[in-house]
Amino acid sequence: MSRVTALVAKELADLRRNPGVFVPAAITGFASLLVPFFVGLIVPVITGERLSDSSDFQVAAEMYRLEPATVRLSPEGAIQAWIFQQFLVMLILTPVAAAMSVAAFSVIGEKQARTLEPLLVTPITTVELLTGKVLGAAIPALALGFGVFAVYAIGVAVFAEAGVWRVLFLPRSLAVTFLLGPLASLASLQLAVCVSSRANDPRSAQQIGVLILLPIAGILAAQLLGSLQLTLGISVLIAVGLTMVNLALIVLGVRVFDRESILTRWR
Amino acid sequence: MPFVVAHVLSAHHLTRRFGDRVAVEDVSFDLVAGEIFALLGPNGSGKTTTLRMLAGLIAPSAGSISVQGERLTQESAPRLRRDIGFLTEAPGLWDRLTVRQNLMVFARLHGLAQPHRAVDEALELFEMESRAGDRAAHLSKGLKQRVALARALLHDPRIVLLDEPTAGLDPGSAHDVRELILRLRDRQRVVLLSTHNLDEAQRVANHVAILRTRLIAVDTPAALKARLFEPRVRIVLTEPSQRFATAIQAAGAEDVQCDGVEMSVRVNGRLDTPALVRHLVQAGAGIESVVRVEPSLEDVYLKLVHERRGSS
Repeated sequence: MSRVTALVAKELADLRRNPGVFVPAAITGFASLLVPFFVGLIVPVITGERLSDSSDFQVAAEMYRLEPATVRLSPEGAIQAWIFQQFLVMLILTPVAAAMSVAAFSVIGEKQARTLEPLLVTPITTVELLTGKVLGAAIPALALGFGVFAVYAIGVAVFAEAGVWRVLFLPRSLAVTFLLGPLASLASLQLAVCVSSRANDPRSAQQIGVLILLPIAGILAAQLLGSLQLTLGISVLIAVGLTMVNLALIVLGVRVFDRESILTRWR
Repeated sequence: MPFVVAHVLSAHHLTRRFGDRVAVEDVSFDLVAGEIFALLGPNGSGKTTTLRMLAGLIAPSAGSISVQGERLTQESAPRLRRDIGFLTEAPGLWDRLTVRQNLMVFARLHGLAQPHRAVDEALELFEMESRAGDRAAHLSKGLKQRVALARALLHDPRIVLLDEPTAGLDPGSAHDVRELILRLRDRQRVVLLSTHNLDEAQRVANHVAILRTRLIAVDTPAALKARLFEPRVRIVLTEPSQRFATAIQAAGAEDVQCDGVEMSVRVNGRLDTPALVRHLVQAGAGIESVVRVEPSLEDVYLKLVHERRGSS
């Protein structure tokens, strides 16, 4: 375990001196924050038309006025609560993007800098090496993701109607943020590390890692179209699926990390 | 009771193939404590592959490696690597980390009980204390190599594998590295270095091996020279040497080469150097100097490598 912590400490120290790697994730986070505030708060101001005046949102308003946590909200507040909860899924993109940016360079970066061979000659095992790499990328990615959630929650508390913020702390919202987000990030990260072990170019790893965004985008679209309601039960079910994917990726990661090929075939 | 020499590092019939290409074939040697073994060979001759096999980084296709009597396998490699320090061809430092941070990661990866103390000692040994807080990216090539060496020796390994340790270093830095290698010998470490620098091998190595996929020769530098080159003397005369060639050939001298006032003669059992000088004086030659010609390790290397090239 001490070897894993040594490697994680190294990864974090390295990232502290290379903040540029988080620029794509920061842009993603900013965009994820901007869209719901634009739709829920800025569009009504620009158009002069309240959301509750639109027939499109009536179902959402009725649904959220039945929730114990939001029962006292005005029709406008109920629609805002619906919007801000639906877009929580989009916030998952931030830790996923951060994880991908870091993980794609994890093995390839070491290969390019020719730092991998000295590392492999230590008593570190493949499982320890990959665990260190994954944790070293996951910790800052999740920290960034949770940071974006905190900004989101504060923004909602300050700018949305009073009481709307409570919707972000319902069990199903917390499951999205603190269960699906980390699990999706971990899957994306492991996928990127797996590809990073075999590819010569970090972009290849990023391109494969980005595949994890497709189901997230699918969930978001299905929610907005009203064909999926991300309840606590569904969130837990998705979390179980993601856990299985993560376990499979751990096994795959160890298998594809072939020390010999990395040292002898990579140029 | 017979004296038994314990081999610290042994290679037996090591072979490594990459697909159809044979990188290393049937390489065997045994190294004991305090030995410096230089691996010489042209580019692509299998030196780095051999070192990587010895470090447990890649597995041999055939043959075996023993570290202090224990066979190096995929399972035993992580444990046996505690006794191995490997200076890779490139320093491979993490550029954004400081010198101290680079070393600290490795001290902890090796599971040292007192990593801070080990790093402090390494910094002192390599005279890097003043640069400990500098990022690796800001170091010169020589300093990077010094840090890489410190890293390879941080856990005080019994076996030290050095892949071209002085490549690209200025003469001063290269001298420092050679001094360090000699200190390792004094501390009874086994040092195996791969190098293109024949002068360096001659200066520090007890044994040299010339590798060209297979081992062409393994011996002490002196024994290799004696085996491949018969001794010669170079004599500088006061007048053209050609005049005296016939006289000494009649006395039994072989392979007499004359060039102006210089004469080069192969000495042998029938005509040694004092007898040769005596014959020259008797023939009326004035002698300025007599020097025994020592072939260099480069001569040995070139002869062996060219012979091998010719035969293959």
